[in-house]
Amino acid sequence: MNNYKKNLLKKRYNAERRFQWYGKIAIGLALTFLAVFMFQIFSKGYSAFQKTWIVTEVHYDKELLLIDAESPSKDDLENADYYDVAYKAMTSLDPGLPEEEDRQLIQMVSYKYETEVKDLLLKNPDFLGKIVPIKLTASDDVDQVHKGNYPRDIPEKNRRVNDYQLQIYDMLNERGDILSEFNISFFTNPDSREAELAGIASSFMGTVFSILVCLAFSFPIAVLAAIYLEEFAPKNKFTDFIEVNINNLAAVPSIVFGLLGLGILLAVFNLPRSTPLVGGITLSLMTLPTIIIAARASLKAVPPSIREAALAMGASNMQTTMHHTVPLSMPGTLSGTIIGLAQALGETAPLILIGMVAFVNTIPGTPVDPAASLPVQIYIWSESAERGFVEKVSACIMVLLAFLILMNLAAQIVRHKFEKKWS
Amino acid sequence: MSKIIAENVNVYYGSKQALFDVSIDIAEKEVTALIGPSGCGKSTFLRCLNRMNDVIDICRVEGSIKMDDLELNSRKLDVVRLRENVGMVFQKPNPFPKTIYENVAYGPTIHGIAQSKEEMDQIVETSLKKAALWNEVKDRLDEIGTGLSGGQQQRLCIARAISVSPEVILMDEPCSALDPIATAQIEELIDDLKKEVTIVIVTHSMSQAARVSQKTGFFHLGKLIEFGSTEKIFKNPDKQQTQDYITGRFG
Repeated sequence: MNNYKKNLLKKRYNAERRFQWYGKIAIGLALTFLAVFMFQIFSKGYSAFQKTWIVTEVHYDKELLLIDAESPSKDDLENADYYDVAYKAMTSLDPGLPEEEDRQLIQMVSYKYETEVKDLLLKNPDFLGKIVPIKLTASDDVDQVHKGNYPRDIPEKNRRVNDYQLQIYDMLNERGDILSEFNISFFTNPDSREAELAGIASSFMGTVFSILVCLAFSFPIAVLAAIYLEEFAPKNKFTDFIEVNINNLAAVPSIVFGLLGLGILLAVFNLPRSTPLVGGITLSLMTLPTIIIAARASLKAVPPSIREAALAMGASNMQTTMHHTVPLSMPGTLSGTIIGLAQALGETAPLILIGMVAFVNTIPGTPVDPAASLPVQIYIWSESAERGFVEKVSACIMVLLAFLILMNLAAQIVRHKFEKKWS
Repeated sequence: MSKIIAENVNVYYGSKQALFDVSIDIAEKEVTALIGPSGCGKSTFLRCLNRMNDVIDICRVEGSIKMDDLELNSRKLDVVRLRENVGMVFQKPNPFPKTIYENVAYGPTIHGIAQSKEEMDQIVETSLKKAALWNEVKDRLDEIGTGLSGGQQQRLCIARAISVSPEVILMDEPCSALDPIATAQIEELIDDLKKEVTIVIVTHSMSQAARVSQKTGFFHLGKLIEFGSTEKIFKNPDKQQTQDYITGRFG
């Protein structure tokens, strides 16, 4: 081997090595960005899964409850007056406090503390007349102090928790009367103006209903359109034109579909606004081209030899399509559908336009009840100033990401498990 | 006796003419081989006999092809009925990605041939026996047909084709994807089948044509150069072109 040839060979190997390194660097960069993004979200959001409680004692005094009956019924307990009992439960934390300063103590728990006092007695009617310990949801300010997210060293007038409240907090903390537990209410509560009470139940259900409506509308329409275009329609200028338009539709910005939903579904058809029904139909406009394209691609991928085999056996076009081509294309179509739905899941702009951005503090039971959706919930909370919402935004993103990962996983499984192999 | 009579068949793909005035008589219960170099139109002609050219949008067929006085090249012809009578076996084995049983039962199912489960079982068994595959697969009829070896897949396709008792079977280079042993099995099978069925086979292998067929047609550049008994074509052809091809001087 002469020198020239040797050098050439060396150059070729070096070029390959360099190329591999470019690839590795590119992947490394992508993973770094992902890691930074994940770290940001997790470090900010993980504390939202912890909930802070303040433990105090409540005296279910019959007199203060205004209960006259000797052995009160459920209704009596339901209609009793809990204001004073609840109030006393909080003020008893510092009996020496002058009456006009009581508000400072009351502000340390959520405004629903009276309901919590009531619920405990309704659950345990034999507590009537007794003094029992009770867990009350801490206000978001105390919650943030406890989680260490709230600076204590800034001047008192700039702080939402004053010196007196910090003193009470420290006392309670030393006694072990500040509890930190897994935040179930984040998953079971609807949205709220108070960060300590706000949860994702309404937006989660809104998202689930929207996706189901979206699936119900887009899947049948898209699959039928794809089958017709791929298997039956003549190939001419008109079908080419339709194909170009479907591809264009897939590239239209989602906010345009939102305007369409607003202008047609709400204004013309008068469907109830802010509901997953309208949201789902609007999103289905977006997923429709995605599913059509995926379904056509997987129909195209069915080998022509299978079609020929069926046709040569005397199957009609319809039988060939329904017995062979469509079942073989289903794995691809389904995974395309799931990916389309996962895209729709993260969509915010069109839902804002059709009113799913409204503040909803009820959990929707049907697709025609007002609801938010997870990405819109993130948007709503990110506009709130309270510190309690900052961690909630990240927590909500985590839930959304988990949802997305599950759906993409499902798409992968469907593709690999149900894909039939042909020779 | 003639089963199929083709007269002046011209086939066009768009503006390109693929077959020129092909006239041929295919005898009943015999094997007719069509040979010729690649692109000579022999497969195109074969696909005219069960109208498989219909799936190609730009394909146009002119002329007359009669099977038992039924005009095949007619708009009014019911292609579903035609294909029930004219089966086809393709170059690459193409069983459905379904079970062996379902592969064979598909034709009888869509044409309503079997009335009961027992009748269907019987048809599947006879078809697989005729295709010389029964002994190899009788214990695993519910396995996927595409899991068989290449030769077994091709015999499965033959079983599928004969399941509806066609009068004619078209074979488009059925052995080109198979090894010599599988090829020998298929050729033996063709020999058996011709007692009941008319067979038209397109093949690249001249020795195969010589072994299995009674009549041979030689195609070149879209024209039928010579057609006659296999013995005559291979031993004493009329045309110089045929002589050149079978002796391997071109093609």
